[in-house]
Amino acid sequence: MRGRIRRGSNAGNENISPDNTHSNSYEPIPGTIKAVKARLSEIFSGCSDFTHREISYRKNSLIRILVAYINGFVDKRALNQDVIHPLLDFLSNAESNESGRIYEQLKEWVVINNDIKEANDMGQAVDNILSGEALLFIDGESKALVIGVKDPQGRQVAEPDTEVSIRGSREGFVENLFSNIILIRKRIKNPNLKVEMIKLGEQTMTDVCICYIKEIANEKLVSEVKERLKRIKTDAILDTGIIEQYISDSRLSLFPTVGNSEKCDKLAGKLLEGRIAIFCDGTPYVLTVPYLFIESIQTTDDYYDHAYFATFMRILRLVALIVSNLLPAMYVALVSFHHTVIPFKLMITLAASRQGIPFSPFVEAVLMIVAFELLREAGVRMPRSIGQALSIVGAIVLGEASVSAGIASNLMVIIVAITAICSFVVPPLIRATMLLRFAFLVAANFLGFLGISYLAVAVLIHLCGLRSFGIPYMAPFSPLTAADLKDSFLAVPVWAMVTRPRILRQEYAKGSKGTKRQEVKIKQ
Amino acid sequence: MCRKLKKQTGMVLIFFLILPLLLTGCWNNRDLTEINIVVGLGLERTEKGNVLLTVQVVEPAAIQSASSEGGKGGGSQPKPVFVKSYESETVFDAVRGMLSIVDKKLFFSTAQVLILGERLSQDGIEEVLDFFQRDQEIDYTMDVLVAKGTTPREVLEMGNDMDSIPAVYIRELAKNTAWRGTVKRTLLIELFKDMGCNGKQLAIGQISKAGDGEVGTEGMAVFKDGKLAGWLNSYETRGYLFATDEVKSTIVNIPADTGKIAMEIIRSKGKIDVVFENSEPVMLTVKVKLEANVGGYEGRGRLDSADSLHALEKVLGEKIKKEIMMALQKLQTEYSSDIFGFGTYVHKYHPQYWKKAGKNWDAIFSRLPVDIQVDARIMRTGIVKDPIKKEE
Repeated sequence: MRGRIRRGSNAGNENISPDNTHSNSYEPIPGTIKAVKARLSEIFSGCSDFTHREISYRKNSLIRILVAYINGFVDKRALNQDVIHPLLDFLSNAESNESGRIYEQLKEWVVINNDIKEANDMGQAVDNILSGEALLFIDGESKALVIGVKDPQGRQVAEPDTEVSIRGSREGFVENLFSNIILIRKRIKNPNLKVEMIKLGEQTMTDVCICYIKEIANEKLVSEVKERLKRIKTDAILDTGIIEQYISDSRLSLFPTVGNSEKCDKLAGKLLEGRIAIFCDGTPYVLTVPYLFIESIQTTDDYYDHAYFATFMRILRLVALIVSNLLPAMYVALVSFHHTVIPFKLMITLAASRQGIPFSPFVEAVLMIVAFELLREAGVRMPRSIGQALSIVGAIVLGEASVSAGIASNLMVIIVAITAICSFVVPPLIRATMLLRFAFLVAANFLGFLGISYLAVAVLIHLCGLRSFGIPYMAPFSPLTAADLKDSFLAVPVWAMVTRPRILRQEYAKGSKGTKRQEVKIKQ
Repeated sequence: MCRKLKKQTGMVLIFFLILPLLLTGCWNNRDLTEINIVVGLGLERTEKGNVLLTVQVVEPAAIQSASSEGGKGGGSQPKPVFVKSYESETVFDAVRGMLSIVDKKLFFSTAQVLILGERLSQDGIEEVLDFFQRDQEIDYTMDVLVAKGTTPREVLEMGNDMDSIPAVYIRELAKNTAWRGTVKRTLLIELFKDMGCNGKQLAIGQISKAGDGEVGTEGMAVFKDGKLAGWLNSYETRGYLFATDEVKSTIVNIPADTGKIAMEIIRSKGKIDVVFENSEPVMLTVKVKLEANVGGYEGRGRLDSADSLHALEKVLGEKIKKEIMMALQKLQTEYSSDIFGFGTYVHKYHPQYWKKAGKNWDAIFSRLPVDIQVDARIMRTGIVKDPIKKEE
């Protein structure tokens, strides 16, 4: 029962502490600026981008303040305008600095910037400097002010390349974590949209954020996600893809049990269904869990368009999925085993196209598919500017020359082409299909249709056994959840989708009704 | 409880995985390029008493180039089919022996027609067809025809411009009987069924030479106890088909006041029965109900009154009755062979009598009186009431 939600563990109820610091041992901030300076210089030795400036002012007593930050990481204009300028004003104004401690005054009314936190020890201070904040150390204080003047670097919000839709928002996520969260906040204006931060990766200390809608998302799932994230022990989190591999239920399965998306509206939809999103700083791909099989054939357009078309397209996608898995295998099985089921006229065509081909159908199919996969991979990896050349070479070599040279049959080229087109229809499963296709080919070559059906049964059994965060992967078909069928192959209009996916709340077992959308009142 | 359930599910799964093993099919892996696609089959008896198997094998590449080049027709194109014969004691041995003159193994599932020779038919066909029943590669839906006045090899060798594969051409001709009703179309499976049918003799469509490179399919061969007894011409064949409810559509010419009228039969229902009195058969009855349209009136009369149409209906009925009568009489007197299947009715509804007299049924059939009722109705006279002509 690995992967199921663990009941009764109190781990899920803990909050994730945001200060998961580099230094495990507590190191107080030294009392004097001189010591602070010395310590920081020691920590950041060899880091030429580390910058600090000491401001000292003597009137009645000596006031020394140290500003420390990483050059280029903070917005210097904002730092000067919001912090340095008012600070100097404050210092030069003799009357004001008499009353009370400077630290409190700086915090409460001198610094203009609103994003002020406190660092209580040296570890926190260093972490915050590394995260792009500016730190103010004040002589004689054991705390430091953290001023959020991080420069929002990175590219502009743009249309995602990997997920294209006809209708709907063209905004895609970017590499900046906070911009991404804002993109979601813009769509779900609701305090129940919870955003919890955690730092992952011993070396990278990447900001990772769990996002869900309280009251809609299943609490048990949320705590399970937190629990799994906490268990990740690794040096580096460079992309959500790494997180995905750590947290998925069946790490050896070909099929994805964690979804990802670049599209803001898609993610908002998933959150509203009760799913949980995992953002990671530095990547535009956001994970969604639980991820079920049916999601791979759903697109955002399905919900924006009329339900008839959505249903048709979904069935078409399913057919494409099956075709892209089975077509080459079917062909091989037909021409090497089951001649009797081929209609007479097709048989003549088949035999004519096979005439003079030196390879067996299996070898021919494998060669052509490998050639296609090579082309595809080359198309992904190489610089865009020479893409044109590749497609010409691919079309000529694969399509024309191999046929006229008598190495491949016309029909094989057609079959590989259809297979390729079909495989692109269901992008989340491209990689799974790519490997399964070969498996089916081998099965077809040894046992014909019998082999194909055996492997298909095996794949189905595997699919039915898969779980994503404890939720059966093939839901709502297995287990049959009648209420959730409304958003499966049959897509009912959005006004008729009254209940949220019941399976996500794991209430199907008890037979209770899913929550109605209207029932959840937002607590203000 | 849970474990028990799991175990049960496992058993069920294993059961379902074993099931497909019971499915039949070809086990050996053979590429399409390693087989010879047989489209036509011929069987004949040689003078020595051996079986002469003739196959028509298609050359897919030639077909492909012929169809893609279309009407260009230049140069020497490879022949789309070749015909080979092999003589042997048994059919299966001939099939294998054929490999001494043909390069690749023969593949029979694609066979479209089976032509039986006249001499073979006279000797009896049931024995040689045994191989066709047993072999798993034989397609039971191929057409069977008996060659009259020619040999199967001659039929299969006839090159034809209409279809690059002669066997397909022959099959299409046989299929056309749906619009003609002048040849009995016999599928192999039907032949097998009739072979096992009590009180019914075999009847197979006929094929003969019609001209240079053409074959004609009209009429049928009548068998008695598996041996060829004789032939029916196209009119008699139509009569037979009317009686056995096999007519889909046909054209019947009837005389009118002036000229002739071609009637198109659009629907026909035939029913045969044997009347029993005192548990003895006394009469054979044939009832045919049909609907017809006037397709053409090649004469000067008018067809505008209901009476004239009723009169036509009668003439039409008489004409069809005559055809049925011709067929029945020939079968009763000349061949003494019940291909209609009157005996089947007797066997089915009067089993006591059949037990007693079943063996002599053909003799009894031959001497029973016949009652034929044809109910013809004319539905339409085409899209005009009267053809265009000058007023008189």
